[in-house]
Amino acid sequence: MARQSKIKKARITKKEMKKAEKVCDISKAWLDTNVKNTWCPGCPNFLILDAFKRAICELATSGQKKKEELVVVTDIGCNAKIYDYVSLSGINALHGRILPLAFGIKAGNPNLKPVCFGGDGGTYNEGLSHFLNACRYNMDMTLIVHNNQVFSLTAGQASTVTEQGFVEKTHPFGVKEKPFNPIALALEAGVSFVARVSALDIMEMKRVMQEAIMHKGFAFIEILQPCIVFHNNSDFLRTSTYKINEMDFENALKEARKWNYSQEGKAGLGIFFRKQDRTFEQKNLEWKLRNKIKIIS
Amino acid sequence: MRFNILIGGRAGQGINELANILSRALGKAGFYVFNYRDYGSLITGGHNFNILCISDKKIGSFDYKYDVVLALNKETLEIHRQNFHKNTTFIINFNENRENFIFLNANKDKTENMAFATALFKILGLEKDYLLDEVKKRFAGKSMLEKDIEVIEHFYSKDFDKEIKVNHEKTSKVVLNGAEGTAKGAVISGVDVYFAYPMTPATTLLNFLAKEQDKIFFAYTFEDEISCANAGVGASFSGNRAMIGTSGGGFDLMTEALSLQGMTELPLVVYLAQRPGPSTGVPTYTGQNDLLVACFGGHGEFSRVVIAPGNAKECIEKTNEAFYLAEKFGVTSIILTDKHLVESDFSFNEFKLKEIKIPERKLKPGMPGILFRRSSYEHDSDWNNAEDAKNVKESFEKRLEKQKMLEKEAKKFEMYKIYGKGKDLIIGWGSTKGAILDALDSLDARFLQILYMSPFPKEISGFIKNARTVFIVENNATSQLSKLVAQNTGFIIEDRNKILKFDGRPFIPQEIIDELKKRGVK
Repeated sequence: MARQSKIKKARITKKEMKKAEKVCDISKAWLDTNVKNTWCPGCPNFLILDAFKRAICELATSGQKKKEELVVVTDIGCNAKIYDYVSLSGINALHGRILPLAFGIKAGNPNLKPVCFGGDGGTYNEGLSHFLNACRYNMDMTLIVHNNQVFSLTAGQASTVTEQGFVEKTHPFGVKEKPFNPIALALEAGVSFVARVSALDIMEMKRVMQEAIMHKGFAFIEILQPCIVFHNNSDFLRTSTYKINEMDFENALKEARKWNYSQEGKAGLGIFFRKQDRTFEQKNLEWKLRNKIKIIS
Repeated sequence: MRFNILIGGRAGQGINELANILSRALGKAGFYVFNYRDYGSLITGGHNFNILCISDKKIGSFDYKYDVVLALNKETLEIHRQNFHKNTTFIINFNENRENFIFLNANKDKTENMAFATALFKILGLEKDYLLDEVKKRFAGKSMLEKDIEVIEHFYSKDFDKEIKVNHEKTSKVVLNGAEGTAKGAVISGVDVYFAYPMTPATTLLNFLAKEQDKIFFAYTFEDEISCANAGVGASFSGNRAMIGTSGGGFDLMTEALSLQGMTELPLVVYLAQRPGPSTGVPTYTGQNDLLVACFGGHGEFSRVVIAPGNAKECIEKTNEAFYLAEKFGVTSIILTDKHLVESDFSFNEFKLKEIKIPERKLKPGMPGILFRRSSYEHDSDWNNAEDAKNVKESFEKRLEKQKMLEKEAKKFEMYKIYGKGKDLIIGWGSTKGAILDALDSLDARFLQILYMSPFPKEISGFIKNARTVFIVENNATSQLSKLVAQNTGFIIEDRNKILKFDGRPFIPQEIIDELKKRGVK
């Protein structure tokens, strides 16, 4: 059973930000760009970017992953701006279509490792069928979803994971439908790595990102993130989460169902489930070897 | 001399397979052949038929007057009754004793079709080896092969008391359909990936390419057309020659990704096999109603190539050119075909292919020290997203400049073809080519076949100016090509000179001759 303990309050102070910047100094030469950052001041996206840079920097300096193997594939929305803020090969794709684009990259060159950044709108609204099929294909790639439970760049509309009762301009009487549970969906669709983290915890994000990137197969990380303008659930994330440990499939599914993406109850954070399964590329390669087909690389 | 063979029966009886075997075997024997396929949108039952035309002269069309009928069921005789003449010979496998009827008395199992094929070969007085070779090639390694050979030997030794003499050349012909041609073109162009979602009539190409996966890297069906198109752009991003394929409905879904291609400038080849729309339309029949969506589909303004081959050999050549232009200029190349082109068999004398060398990519992601970046946003020259007015304007100009470069480069290739002699001019494109060419023998007119729809060969205005009357022949209801002609040459083709057919069926030469003669062509 999962050990449940509340995570520490993860309020990010100016001091902490400064400290984080210092640690990241080594990474600056590697991954920084000189494009002007246009995220809102104080947006947790800065923390996600920081965690990502640290994760890559450590993987690269320790020789676990080469920088040029990575390809950043980004959606449309605030999350997607990360394309401009890390100095890696990448493509800023269409809304909802990051996963199919990454399928093509991977099918075309299995040596590349796509790391896809999407939002809840792109992944759970526009691209839901791609998301479910990505879990089924199990290609060796990583999906990081910035889930702030709202469309932010278009000014605050509800997505398919917004809690019931949320009021905004297109839902003046509140959202009536229940939100999707993406962790449960991913598990049912056969995902081989699934984790949920809070955007307020840089070090945990970094750790999980590294685990995900080093996982052989499709790895899905959902980052619960406040949109400080349109959907500010910072207090919920600070007080109502607990850490979970990896578990087997059935327990992971039970754990996933404990929280329904409302702003009530408690949300478990950590790696839910991981298994080693044959990847899409491996299956294709085996098929070719079995049929004695010439392999072009 | 043309000789028309009808092969009819229930769906599921292997009508098309039988016609394919016969067309290739007869081609080997020295006939020019044309094999038209007609089938409904169902799996078993219904009525399917093929019309196989053979001749000692080049042919590119079929006719509804049948000289021999291979009736795999009784219904065939009912349905096509009005197209028989007094000398029509019937080959049947149900007991009916009438004049001109040849009763095979073959086993009603999977080998039945071979009995039909053999009987046809026998009454045409052809050597059985052509048939045996084709069957052996096609069913190599399959358990049926031995039984099939037995049946062929048995029925060839029978005497059917009937002989029909049809002239043919001695040299073997190459027989292939448009989908095979496109597959060949893609393979010689070094295609690395082909992504498609099943949709008639585009699926035939997927079948061919999936079979040839020893030559190409990967053919796959993702969850939908949107996914296939985006994956195509993705594969191109990682440095591959990527091709995607679909028919009209799927193309609508793919246009969003074409627009992405326009912005990211990653080379992409699209295979678009038309069928009559709108919407689901008439799925298993033919039409030329997606010309304008191929030329203009996708939001925003960007350069593209649209090429419409007119027979299977042109499918090979033009697919090769499509890959070349896509790679050289980082554009989308659309190969525009239709059901009549991709599922009909064409025949040619042995030919040598002129392969165009396609430029290799210099930069790919994964190369050490290389940052390979692309964006769907407007961007600066380093592919950083940038929205300032000066940059937006300059980037636009850079992308649209390609259309001019394309116009220049495409002149190296045949962008149009002109046939025949006469005062009047017939304009056509794509799969109508065969029927128009066959009709041309009886007409005092020239035929202008337009192959490049974008960039458009503006120099055709010379032919238009010199013609007494300009006619257009199209398999659609609104004459889409005449709109392109008007846009590019300023010449407006009069409505009464538009010969349009939009019942899902291809033209036969006689229809074109009749329509043109009505309008005063000699």
